[in-house]
Amino acid sequence: MTTVVTSNEAIREIEALLYEEASYLDRPDLDRWLELYTEDGTYWMPAIPDQADPHTHISLFYDDRVLMEVRRRNFKHPAAASKDYTVRASHIISNIRVEKKNAETGDCTVTSNFHCYLYYRDKQTPYAGKYTHELVRSGDGYRIKSKRVDLINCDAVLNTIIIYI
Amino acid sequence: MSYSEAQIAELVQPTKVHRNVYTDPEIFDLEMKRIWANSWIYIGHESQVPDKGNYITLNYGKVPVVMVRDNNNEVHVLHNRCGHKGAKLVDRPCGQIPAFRCCYHGWRYRLDGKLLGVPHMQGYEGTEFDKDDPQYSMQKLARYESLRGFVFASMNPDAPDLRTWMGGAADVMDNLCDRAPEGEVVAAGGVLRYEHDCNWKMFLENLNDTMHPMIVHRSVVESALEYIETLPEDSPRRDEAEIIPPFGASYETFEESGITGFRYGHHYDGGKTSIHADYTLDPEYEAAMLKAYGRERMLEILSFNTHNTLYYPSLTIKSAVQNIRVVRPIAHNKTIIETWSFRLKGAPESMLKRTLLYSRLINSNGSMVGPDDLTAYFRMQEGLESQASDWIEMHRNFGRDENLGDRTVGKGTSDLDMRTQYAAWRKYMTGEAA
Repeated sequence: MTTVVTSNEAIREIEALLYEEASYLDRPDLDRWLELYTEDGTYWMPAIPDQADPHTHISLFYDDRVLMEVRRRNFKHPAAASKDYTVRASHIISNIRVEKKNAETGDCTVTSNFHCYLYYRDKQTPYAGKYTHELVRSGDGYRIKSKRVDLINCDAVLNTIIIYI
Repeated sequence: MSYSEAQIAELVQPTKVHRNVYTDPEIFDLEMKRIWANSWIYIGHESQVPDKGNYITLNYGKVPVVMVRDNNNEVHVLHNRCGHKGAKLVDRPCGQIPAFRCCYHGWRYRLDGKLLGVPHMQGYEGTEFDKDDPQYSMQKLARYESLRGFVFASMNPDAPDLRTWMGGAADVMDNLCDRAPEGEVVAAGGVLRYEHDCNWKMFLENLNDTMHPMIVHRSVVESALEYIETLPEDSPRRDEAEIIPPFGASYETFEESGITGFRYGHHYDGGKTSIHADYTLDPEYEAAMLKAYGRERMLEILSFNTHNTLYYPSLTIKSAVQNIRVVRPIAHNKTIIETWSFRLKGAPESMLKRTLLYSRLINSNGSMVGPDDLTAYFRMQEGLESQASDWIEMHRNFGRDENLGDRTVGKGTSDLDMRTQYAAWRKYMTGEAA
């Protein structure tokens, strides 16, 4: 894929959205996080590199609005034993590239690298990989139509992934 | 401590189990030698090695093995170890090779394990080294057999044949395959490997523990129902809405589903009904099944509704969902659980999609179901370090299970499943034929 040449301003706008999303996952605050997604938005974490689609191969996560709505409730549910621990994260996003851009609408596909340290139940776990965000124009800003999270160790033996990365 | 044979036998009583069976690394090592080596262990499905030279690697207990299809189309289970210095011959999860070749000194083996060649042979001339001595070939496991494509192996040359060992629990494996219009299933859609910080038996004991779902899974059920409440009535049907809420079913519902236990530690819950019984029947699938079997046989197949079936100690299957979980113990407090999904041959693609949805929604590392189970397991693993009591009880419905000869049946909330497992555990561990 070739990188689209984008003005500094346009890049700054995209960065700001990615950083805002990361900040809600750092806390985490899934209610605010969900507001960044379109009604038909999806969050996908494949289980193998270069996975073609989320339906004919198993994935670690594939949530559309319905499952995001269930998950955001579940995350705060007092009876969810696995959520009975402090969860804190720190996301670093870099190497941001605009891969595709619709000149008329401004909609674009953005890739980036991320490192995330996740603290959960007395243990700190590092996650690393690549994000692919599809962003669509909505009013003055962007909303997220899809986010794909390719962990570099997506096909390894993994423990619980307690929240979106 | 070191255990005498009598002390091992005493760890399991009719209605209680000593905590050391979960917390003692020495017991774990004995389990690998006495249970895992003598039982039939699930290796993989023949469809994972569809062509000549295809292989998969895994650990049988602690022993590295490889399942491979040879040039005569026969599937073998071999020790994954060079006959020379012992290096693993293949070290990827799966692949395809013309022959085995060691990465160290280049010894080569046929796909059935026979040593083919050693470089620079003249150095061995006049020594006692004999290339044709079987000890220098890749060793076959003592036994391996396939039941409808599901390959099991045993280190025990005297193990009963696979179907005899499965007993009446084989009905569920047959049912899984019969649910395919063509009577066969194919591994599809990959695997999830989920690290569990707990003893392998905690996972097994949870399979037919019907007293936990309404507690452990209340949060996901309530979150789903609460969200469904907010949706307009004419919202489209979602498989998730059929899969998640039954995890919150009542004690009475689970009571009715019943548990059936067999020799060698196998058991299943359900039969007449289960938490999978009310899934919408895909009309295209129904048509394919009708064509393949006729109405009477089709209804017979689809109405045999089990929930979890355990083939003790390594495999649990869900015939109605077409997924399986495989138990790979690592240490007394560490276990890997693999989730595999299966395609029903001759069924529409929608069936595989539902299976994968189920695997992701219920069994994945990121799901809202499995992690809550795991939390209970690791809390037990850590809690049992306490010596407050040495015993874990399993009294529920004791004395009220019904012995029907080849099987024992009880109410769905009975601890019959645990008692069945530990009866087999005790026999394997004390050297009696389980």
